[in-house]
Amino acid sequence: MANVLKHLPELEGMELGYIQGILKNMDEEQATLFAQVYRARRKDNQMVLVLCLIGFFGFAGLHRFILGQIGLGILYLLTLGLCFIGTIVDLVNYKSLAYEYNVKVAHETLSLMSVNYELKSATPKNEGNEADK
Amino acid sequence: MKLPFELLFWILALLGIAGIDVGSDASHFSICPLDQLGISWCPGCGLGRSMKLLLVGEFRASWAMHPLGGFAFLVIGHRIVELILNIKRTKHYGKRIKASS
Repeated sequence: MANVLKHLPELEGMELGYIQGILKNMDEEQATLFAQVYRARRKDNQMVLVLCLIGFFGFAGLHRFILGQIGLGILYLLTLGLCFIGTIVDLVNYKSLAYEYNVKVAHETLSLMSVNYELKSATPKNEGNEADK
Repeated sequence: MKLPFELLFWILALLGIAGIDVGSDASHFSICPLDQLGISWCPGCGLGRSMKLLLVGEFRASWAMHPLGGFAFLVIGHRIVELILNIKRTKHYGKRIKASS
């Protein structure tokens, strides 16, 4: 079992708990690889906040583009963030937006890793089988 | 079960749009913060009324009010579906593991 604080100390709140749930099933080597890939791909919620604030100066919806929601990004950009209402809502909600994206990234990273590793070999049930070999 | 804030916002927005009265467009009630500040026009003006006109089937009037009405419906609908599907996925990851052991 790997500790999330050792591998990804910059996480906080809900994301910390979620990633700890993932790392629980990994050994140290897998956790190091996961942390490297995940850190490179996740989006910091402060970046979402800053891009959202730019919406008040005429370029709304940049945070939606960054989070892969192209349709909403175009809609925000062409309507001044739904007349600022959408921008203000996202200003309140920026942590959830980043968290949602990061959970998606974590699952992508996991499925990428399962191509290289057989993750199940890290669970206690199968450790006995490895010892037999 | 607690609904995500953003999901609640989009659903209330669509409900609000369905309740717009587009009959008398001379001086309509607006919750737009720019309108409250006294700015008379912005690129999003008429989007809500355009979507309402689309709901009642007046496509040409909807396009004239704001060309993005239909696009907005598609994108917001897609986002609502995505948010509903996300409710289960963004719960604590460890729960699934606990349940299986």
